[in-house]
Amino acid sequence: MDHIAELAGKDPLSRRYFMEMTAKLTLGLSVGVPFLPRTFQAQGGAKAKNLIYIYLAGGMTHLDTFDPKKNRDVMADTEMIDTNVDNMKFGMHLKELSKQADKLAVINSMMSTNGAHEQGEYIMRTGYEKRATIVHPTIGPWAQTLLGKRGEILPDSVLIGQSTSNAGFMDPSFSPLPIADPSGGVPNTTLIVEGERFDRRMEMAQKLGQQFADKFKYTGPKSYVEYYTQANRLLKSDALTAFDISNESNRADYGENRLGQGCLLARKLVESGVRVVEVVSGGWDMHLDVSGGTASRLPELDVAVATLLKDLESRGLLESTIVAIGTEFGRTPDINMNAGRDHYPAAYSCVLAGGGIKGGTVYGETDGAGKKVKVNPVKPEDFLATIGYGLGLNQEETIYSPTQRPFTFADKGAPVTALFA
Amino acid sequence: MNPRISLFSLGALLVVSGPCFSPTAQARTWTSTDGKPLQAIFIGIEGENLKFKLQNGNQIVVPKDRFIKADQEAAERLAKIGDDSFTKASARQIDTLLAGALKKNGFNSFNEPLPDDLFVRRVYLDIIGRIPTREEFLAFAENARPDKREALIDELLLSPGFSSNMFNYFADMYRLNASDFDNGIRMDPYIQWWKDQLEANRPYHEIVSDMLTAQGNVGQNPASGFLLRDTGMEFDAFANFGQVMLGIDISCAQCHDHPFDEWTQGDFYEMAAFFGNTQRSLGYRPASAMMGAASVEMPNAPAGWRNNFMKWAETTKGIVPMDQNSNQFRFFVAALGWNLTDNETLETVLPADFIGEGGKPGEIASPRTLIGDAAKLGGKTRRQAVADWLTDPTNPRFSLVIANRMWGRAFGRAIVEPVNDLSDDELKRASQPEVMRHLESEMRRVNYDLREFMRILYNTRAYQSIATFEEPDLTKPYYFVGPVLRRMRAEQAWDSMMLLAHGAEIDKKTGGDGSFYKKILNIDFTTATNDDVWRHYEMWQSLRGGQSAMAMASESGDDYSPVLVNDTELRASELPQPAPAASMLDTFGQSDRRITDDHNYDGSVPQVLALMNGTITQQLTGISSKIVSDLEALDGPDDKVRGVFATLLNRFPTKEELDLGTGMIEDFGDEGISDLAWALMNGPEFLFIQ
Repeated sequence: MDHIAELAGKDPLSRRYFMEMTAKLTLGLSVGVPFLPRTFQAQGGAKAKNLIYIYLAGGMTHLDTFDPKKNRDVMADTEMIDTNVDNMKFGMHLKELSKQADKLAVINSMMSTNGAHEQGEYIMRTGYEKRATIVHPTIGPWAQTLLGKRGEILPDSVLIGQSTSNAGFMDPSFSPLPIADPSGGVPNTTLIVEGERFDRRMEMAQKLGQQFADKFKYTGPKSYVEYYTQANRLLKSDALTAFDISNESNRADYGENRLGQGCLLARKLVESGVRVVEVVSGGWDMHLDVSGGTASRLPELDVAVATLLKDLESRGLLESTIVAIGTEFGRTPDINMNAGRDHYPAAYSCVLAGGGIKGGTVYGETDGAGKKVKVNPVKPEDFLATIGYGLGLNQEETIYSPTQRPFTFADKGAPVTALFA
Repeated sequence: MNPRISLFSLGALLVVSGPCFSPTAQARTWTSTDGKPLQAIFIGIEGENLKFKLQNGNQIVVPKDRFIKADQEAAERLAKIGDDSFTKASARQIDTLLAGALKKNGFNSFNEPLPDDLFVRRVYLDIIGRIPTREEFLAFAENARPDKREALIDELLLSPGFSSNMFNYFADMYRLNASDFDNGIRMDPYIQWWKDQLEANRPYHEIVSDMLTAQGNVGQNPASGFLLRDTGMEFDAFANFGQVMLGIDISCAQCHDHPFDEWTQGDFYEMAAFFGNTQRSLGYRPASAMMGAASVEMPNAPAGWRNNFMKWAETTKGIVPMDQNSNQFRFFVAALGWNLTDNETLETVLPADFIGEGGKPGEIASPRTLIGDAAKLGGKTRRQAVADWLTDPTNPRFSLVIANRMWGRAFGRAIVEPVNDLSDDELKRASQPEVMRHLESEMRRVNYDLREFMRILYNTRAYQSIATFEEPDLTKPYYFVGPVLRRMRAEQAWDSMMLLAHGAEIDKKTGGDGSFYKKILNIDFTTATNDDVWRHYEMWQSLRGGQSAMAMASESGDDYSPVLVNDTELRASELPQPAPAASMLDTFGQSDRRITDDHNYDGSVPQVLALMNGTITQQLTGISSKIVSDLEALDGPDDKVRGVFATLLNRFPTKEELDLGTGMIEDFGDEGISDLAWALMNGPEFLFIQ
């Protein structure tokens, strides 16, 4: 790490420079240097250390899941079932979760002004309205910025189910590591050549590159030298096993589908030290045949989340891990001409569990048709602020974009503190 | 409203006190076969003769074969790109101004002149966006002609790689994005239009003017894509206009007065009002609630056309337009329908949370320009007025922004940074105001011909210096003793890898589906029958049926069947824009085109892993790769090692490197060559432009 000290010494802006340089080397995946310790005041609940954010892209129907109604007109084929909590009722496909309702805080008063997927998902994952002049970070980079980098080899945040990620206006190295296929592991970690020949190649690259790196006193080439060292270390470490779920004994329990396997990988990563894992699952945009859609997708969600909660609990991780289910909007109470439901941002449901959340809670309420929020409306930025409250993210701390625009976590959203035990 | 029109210090400098900097032509010396010199400006080739202008203004015509062969070749080159008498004079002038500034600040002179090997690699990367082949490198090294550098610069500026490389830059700046937008707009014809403009080397101010004043949909008038791009986010569209064309980031003044600059919230809305009656509509309804609720028909279609067609489609073809099953149909109609017009009944209204001075929420903002002379409406549409104001030669800002950007492309650092936010303070602090002024006036003199402008920069002594060894501190002035070291852009890295895998043929391969989309979406509603439109829809389906298939329009007249392109052998500019997530381009920092100038040059562990173990590395350095098999013809380990270095780094190895390499080949044969190629691809030198 000598060159970092050297870099730190050479610039009058050294602290910032040092932080940036360290960050660059760390992020992404690995680094030998822990992030600089930060003097931060833990905020809010702060019982939780980790987050698993299950994001249902497309807009999960609220009526057929966590906010069912007695009014048959708005329920189509969905029956209401009891849960292990008196005042909580679910749609019939959530059988397994109904047995663990005492772990869940259900928010039935979510309200958004964004009826389009892209804008809706954007604010649900960043806490900010989508703009064409800046990209806001998701929770992972925010947590890393506000709490400091946690691990040495593993990334701070991972995004499962998408093949690309970004850190918004924060340093690109804060980007969550994307894992498109939860069963596929980290891309490009299978060596082209093995053993001695690989070492020979690395040694050769280093010898031939040294002269260049010495000649130019720039951070660019130096950081590449460091990235190679780190990549090499990663390839030879056992950290990669945190991404390998092939030998997990309860693979089948989670469900043999991307959402289920994504949740299993999320559990394994959190257990290995990753702070924030987002699991994105598509296919919730049920304009056509909502009964068919829910019959195929809801059991997947039900089994995956129920197994995740039990698994976390049995490993003693549930108290320190928030499990959140989010989506961009609900779906229309009226069934459309194609037996589907359309976008409905005026009322929808999200769920929180673990990490200091008071289970068995129903927060907010819609009217008898699930059309209007009657009490305690919760906006997307409030939902994120609630998660942040649980993780101890300081909402007062201003972070400046490179263009010097000031931002705070979750855009002044108000955390729902009543959800915490 | 706020009556103040802020005048930038620079504006004042340029307009009031700026001396005339126009270069005087330095006539080239032409040599006849009997050794006699002729000092003259070359005009062109007429049949078998060359035409010149003498210093006294007279024109003469001389038979071509009266000149030595080198000059005959030079004449052929200059006939294509234009005489360089002014180019060179301008380059010398820049050097003089730079030299003056750097001496004043304690530097002796520019960095050492760039040796041939570094020169050839750098100009290939800078001008056509890829490294040279081994053959191109060797040809230049063996060329003994004194004018070989200017000849190579001209040759590269005239090659298709030049516009490909320019396109990558502008695609980032203008956020060219061909993915499916939620609202159904397709930007492909607009993207194709950008390529066409750059290929034709159209003057930049004309490109900008077209974009600002466009009417219609992207099929009929692709330039409308610029303003349709941010449909639903009109104020962001305006903020982007400010960043890319005026070099001002005024986005924060949308919500409050600018904290550091002079912009107020009122200024923002007054300027935005130039776009206040711009209407983006989807055939039958306006896109933005802000813009009122006028009902609009499909562009240039007879009244009721859209509804008639939908009914016809339902009864004749069995397509229910709002059916989930007919998503493709809905997208087709949406892509056709997005339309840009001016609607005089619309106004920019101050928002409910307006807190600035001089206006109240709900009041109408009148159009007013922020810099220089106010734009005059005088019977013009608002957009025409703002376009004319922007590109008027007396607007100090427009030429400066593009000149500063082009300088940044050549030198790795612009005179004023960041290029999309030239704040008042930064302009006042600019280290070389006289250079800045000169570049601005040169941009006007060359009439926004970006190729000629770049040609000037590449011919400067400053550019042809070795890169500065110490990383310049961004907080301090940099005196351009030479370019700075840069990492390749993602596109340069990708194109260089494509070159190594497939050879220089990649320059000529085109792909992309922009032209095909344009054909599909270009419908003349005044004459089109329902059957005609349906035929276009079927083409749309054939294109989109193949999901990620790359397609281009067949050139043969009415044949609209897509020609599929092998997208593994294409340059970045010919691939989908932007390249898909997790692709090599994405991993290397290609912008996802959401915000302007968002390319990043950082490394990362995933990137390094891709270089170490990725498919492309296997393809490039494996035992049966082009790199390894091309070297089979060379004899002996020494030549092979030189060959690998010349191929990947465009230089010959040092003694030490040669020993290392030959050791590998002697010990491991072809495997050793493969290892050496891998090692060079995975060393820092490959990715950096020095």
